[in-house]
Amino acid sequence: MSMTVLRTQLAGVARRPARLLLTGLAVLVASFVVFATVLAQQITERTMLANLSGTPEQAAFVVGGDATPTGRDLTRIRALPGVAEAVGRFQTSVQLGAATSSPYLEVTADPGAGPLALTRVVAGRFPQAPHEIAVTPRTVDRLGLPVGAVVSARTGPDAAPIGLTVTGVVEAAYDFGAQAYAREDTVVALSPAGPGGRIEVRLADGAAATEVRQRIQAALDAAPRPADSRVPGVTAGADVRAEEAQRELDEITTIFALVGMFVAIAVAAAALVAASTFRIVFAQRTRQLALLRAVGAGRGGISRALAAEGALTGLAAGAVGVLAALAVGHGVPPVLGWFGVQVSGPGVPWDAALLVVGGAALVTVGAVLAPAYSAARVAPLAALRAAQAAPARTGIGTARLVGGLVPAAGAVLAALLVVSRLPGRDTDDYDRNPLLLGIVASGTLLFLALMLLGPLLVRPLLRVVGWPLRRLGPVGRLAVGGIGGAPRRAAAISTVVALGVTLIAGVLVGSASVQALVDREMALAVPADYEVTAGEQPIAAAVVDEVRARTELAHVTAYRRLGELRVDGDRANTYDANDLDLAALPTLGGLDVASGSLADAGAGRVVLSGHVAEALGKRAGDQLTLTRGDRTVQVRVAAVLPGWVPLFSALVADPADLDRLGAPAGYSGILADAAVAGEDGRTAGQQALRRIGDGAGGLGLAVLADEGDEQQSLLDALLGIALGLVGLTVLIAVVGVGTTTALSVVERAGESGMLRAVGLSRAGLRIMLTTESALYGVLGATLGLLLGVPYAWLAVRALGIGAPVALPVLPLVGVFAALVVCTALAGMLPARRASRVSPVAALGTGD
Amino acid sequence: MSTQQPAARLYATAAVDLVKVYGGGDTAVHALDGVTVGFTRAEFTAIMGPSGSGKSTLMHCLAGLDTATSGQALLGGTDLTRLDDRLLTKARRERIGFVFQSFNLLPQLTAAQNITLPLDLAGRRPDAELLDYLVTALGLADRLGHRPGELSGGQQQRVALARALVSRPEVVFADEPTGNLDSWSGAQVLGLLRDAVRDLGQTVVMVTHDPNAAAYADRVVLLADGRVAGELDRPERGAIVEALQQQAVMR
Repeated sequence: MSMTVLRTQLAGVARRPARLLLTGLAVLVASFVVFATVLAQQITERTMLANLSGTPEQAAFVVGGDATPTGRDLTRIRALPGVAEAVGRFQTSVQLGAATSSPYLEVTADPGAGPLALTRVVAGRFPQAPHEIAVTPRTVDRLGLPVGAVVSARTGPDAAPIGLTVTGVVEAAYDFGAQAYAREDTVVALSPAGPGGRIEVRLADGAAATEVRQRIQAALDAAPRPADSRVPGVTAGADVRAEEAQRELDEITTIFALVGMFVAIAVAAAALVAASTFRIVFAQRTRQLALLRAVGAGRGGISRALAAEGALTGLAAGAVGVLAALAVGHGVPPVLGWFGVQVSGPGVPWDAALLVVGGAALVTVGAVLAPAYSAARVAPLAALRAAQAAPARTGIGTARLVGGLVPAAGAVLAALLVVSRLPGRDTDDYDRNPLLLGIVASGTLLFLALMLLGPLLVRPLLRVVGWPLRRLGPVGRLAVGGIGGAPRRAAAISTVVALGVTLIAGVLVGSASVQALVDREMALAVPADYEVTAGEQPIAAAVVDEVRARTELAHVTAYRRLGELRVDGDRANTYDANDLDLAALPTLGGLDVASGSLADAGAGRVVLSGHVAEALGKRAGDQLTLTRGDRTVQVRVAAVLPGWVPLFSALVADPADLDRLGAPAGYSGILADAAVAGEDGRTAGQQALRRIGDGAGGLGLAVLADEGDEQQSLLDALLGIALGLVGLTVLIAVVGVGTTTALSVVERAGESGMLRAVGLSRAGLRIMLTTESALYGVLGATLGLLLGVPYAWLAVRALGIGAPVALPVLPLVGVFAALVVCTALAGMLPARRASRVSPVAALGTGD
Repeated sequence: MSTQQPAARLYATAAVDLVKVYGGGDTAVHALDGVTVGFTRAEFTAIMGPSGSGKSTLMHCLAGLDTATSGQALLGGTDLTRLDDRLLTKARRERIGFVFQSFNLLPQLTAAQNITLPLDLAGRRPDAELLDYLVTALGLADRLGHRPGELSGGQQQRVALARALVSRPEVVFADEPTGNLDSWSGAQVLGLLRDAVRDLGQTVVMVTHDPNAAAYADRVVLLADGRVAGELDRPERGAIVEALQQQAVMR
C-alpha cells in the first residue's frame, strides 16, 4: 500500500523535477556550504603544506635542536662526503646608529641562490662579500636603506660600529620592515656571542642518507666546544617539515572548527526552511492526499510515502549541492592562478562527499516528519470539497501554546539570571563562561519559543510594520493581507530570517563595542602616530620647535612627565603626572569620561585616572593635594576617566601646576601625527623625526601607529570573517523566502487570476507579490533586531572587559535595508512568472 | 436566428465573427469558429451549450480575459481585441464585472473589503448610496465584517455579486455562478442577478449549462461547436430543455 502511495507521489515528482529542487533548495544550499567548507579546508591545508616557508624541501637534515651549532660545525659538515651543500641558517640582530634608542635590524644568513635559498632578489644583487647585506622591500622604506646605502651597526651597547653595505633588495617569507639577509660569515661576524640558528644539509646525488647522518653526528661529537654547551642533534628534514606543518595545521583545524559551528547553525536554519517548505507543498496536495485516503490509503502509509519523498529530496539536493561545491572548489585554483595567486586543488574527498549527501538526506527526513504526519491526517472528505482553498489556520493549539510558553519563560529566566550576575568595575574574580553559556541557552530557548509561538506574533507585528504599506494603497494592503492570511507560514520563514539577523546584529553590536573599547585604549596607548622620548637629557624647546616646523608632521605636542608625586595623605604610594594638552591631539577627542568633563580642565584642575580615583575614593569636583618634596599644590578633579589617563599616568595636570611642583623646563617627550595618511606619509614623518633625533642625539622614536594599524586590521579581519560566517544563515533564510514565495504563488494562482480579472495590472500583481516576499524580510529583520541587540548588549556586558556597549545604528539600519532588498529580490522571479500567466489560465476555468 | 450585424449602440457587448483557435496544425482546435452575437443593454442573457461548445471561451474573449485569433470583441464601441494588456486591465477594472463559479474571494479580506476591491484597485471611492443599496438588497448588512471563511457559500457568492455590481460596470459576466451552490442559494443568487437587470439597468451575461438557471434570463443564446446554434427569447424551462435536446439530436 505504502509503495503504491509512494509511487503516485514519485510520479508527481518525476513530472516536475524542478519542483523537487525548489523544495530542497535550502538543503541544497546548505549542502553546498558544508561541502565547500570541507573543500576550503582541503585547499588551505594543501596550499599551506606546499608553500611551507620554514625548512626548504631539499634540506635532508637539520642540525640544531636543543643546542646551536657553530660556524666550525658548519665547516666540518661541508667537508663530509655525501654532503652537497650545507647552509648555516644563522640569525642575529644589530642596532643601527649610535643612540640607545636606535632601531634594530634582524640579520639572517641565506645562500641567496640554490635549492636551500629562502630569498629571491628583486633589485641589486645578493651579498657576496663580508659586511654586505640585502634587505626586504619594507625595510628599504622604513629604515631608509636603499641599494648602495652604507649604515653603521653595533652588535651591542659598547661594541665598535661596523659599516654594512646594502647590495640588494630581496623578498622573503617575513617582512616586518627590519629584515636583512647576508652571507653566513657576515652573520657570524655580527654575533660576538655566537649566532643563534641551525644548519641545513642537502645530500649529494646518490649519497646514502643514513651513512651521511652518522657522519654528521660523528663530526659534531668530535668537534671541540665549550664545556657548558651541548652537542647539537641531527633531525631529518622531512620530520622538521612535518612538525612545522602540524603546527600550522593545528591552527587551521581550530579555525575550521569555529567555522563548523556557524555552518551548523546554517544547517539548522536550512532544516527549518525545509520543514516550512514541505508544509506548503503538502498543503497544496491536500485534495490529492485526501483522494488517496478516500480510496483506502492508510495514514501511516501516506506519512511514510511523504517521508520517503523527503529523503529523496534530501539526497537529490545534497548530491547537487556537493557537485556544485566540487565544481566551484576545482574552479577556484585556476581562477586564482590567473590573478597570480597559486593555491593547490582540493582533490575529491569521497568520504566527506558521501557523508554530506547522507547528512542532507537525514536532515531533510528530520524536517519532513512533522509536515508529513500532519498532512496524512487529512480527512478523506476533503477530496470532495470545493477547490476553494480553506482559509489558513491563524491560531495555534493549546499544546503548542504551552510548549511555546515554557521555553519562553526559561529564556526570560536565564536572561534575568545573567543580568543579575553581570560584573561591575571590579572583574578580578569574575568568570565569564557561565554567563556567556547562560546567554546562549536563553537565546536558543527564545528561538524555540519563537518557532512555536510565531503565528501569534505575526498579526500584531504586521499591524506595526505594515502600517506604512497599508497607507500606500490597495496593492500594499493586499500584500500585507496576503502575508497575514498565512501567519503560520510567515512565522516559520520569518523566524529563520530573524535567526540570521540576530546573529548579524550580535556581531555588529559586539564588534562596535569592542571597537569602542579598542579606540579608548588606543587613545591612551597610541595617542599619536609617533612618540619621541627623551634620553638622559630632557628635550629642549628648540627641538620641539624644529619638529613643529616640519611639514611632514601635524599635531605636534610636547609634554612633561613628573614622578614621585604624593597625592593627599597617601603615604604608601607615589604617583606619576603629565601635562599633556588633551585638546591638541584629535584621537584624544574621543576619550569618554566616567564623571566630570574634560572641558573643565585648566589651571588648578586635574584629570584623574579611574583606577587612582577608586583607590583614593575621589570623584569629579573633589579637592586633591599634590605633594612633591616640599612643594604642595591644591587642585580640583575636573574629570575622572574610566581607566588610565593618556601616557598611562595617574593624572593629567596643567603645565602651570607642574611648574609649581618643581617640574624642570625640558620636555619628556613629543607626540606627533603624520601630516599625510598612508604608508608613504608615515615613512616621511618617521624619516623627518629620525633626522631631527640624530641631530639632537639620544632621542628615542616609536612609531605607535604601526602597532595601532596591526590591531585595527586584525579587528577588521575578525569582523569580516564573523560577518561572512553568520551571512551563511542569512543566505539560507533568503533562499527560504524565495522558495516560500515561489510555492505560495503556485498555490495562489487562482487568487492572482481573480485579481487580474477584476483589474489589477500586471505590474500591480508583480509589485504585490514582491512586496509580500520583502515583508518576510521586514518581519524577520524586525524580530532579529529586537532580539539581537539586547542579547549582544548582554554578551558585551558579560564579557567583563569593560567595553562600553555601542549601538552601530547605521550598520544596523543597513542590515535591515539589505535584508528587505534581498528578500524582495528573492520574490521577484516568482512574482514575474505569476504576473505573466494569463488570468484565464490562472482562474483555471476552462470550458 | 439573429445573425445580422449587431449595432454597437444597442448592444452593451458583442462578438463579430469571433474566432479562437487553440494550438496549430493538425491538432488545432477551433473553440470559436466565427461567432457573431450581441448582448442588449439592460438585458439578462444566458449562454448555453454542451461542454466544448465554446461558451466559456466566448465569455473570456468578451470580458477581455483572453485574446481572440481573429474577429472583434466589442465592449461599447471599443474592440477589446485591439487593446494591449494595460488598457485591457483598465477596461476590466472600470467597465466589466465578474462573478465566478468558485466565488474567488480573497480569504484575508473582510466581506466589505472584498466588495470594494476593484474600486480600491482603481483608486476610486465607492458610491455610498449604491453600496448601501447593494448590501441591503443582497442581505449582507450584518456580514460585512466577516471574512469569507466565516460565510456560507451563498453568502460568499452574494459578496462576489456585490463586488461585480458596485463599480457600475457596463457588463457583468457570470461564469456558472450557481455551480457550487445548493438549489435554494442558487435561486437566490439568480433572482438577485435578475433584480440587478430590472432595478439597476445592469447588463448581465451568464454562462451556464443548467436550464433552471437559464430560465431566469431574458434571452438564451445556444452555442455548439464554436458557433451560434440558436436563440430563445424569454424562455420557459421546458423550452430550454427541449432546445438543448433537439441540439443533442442534431449532433
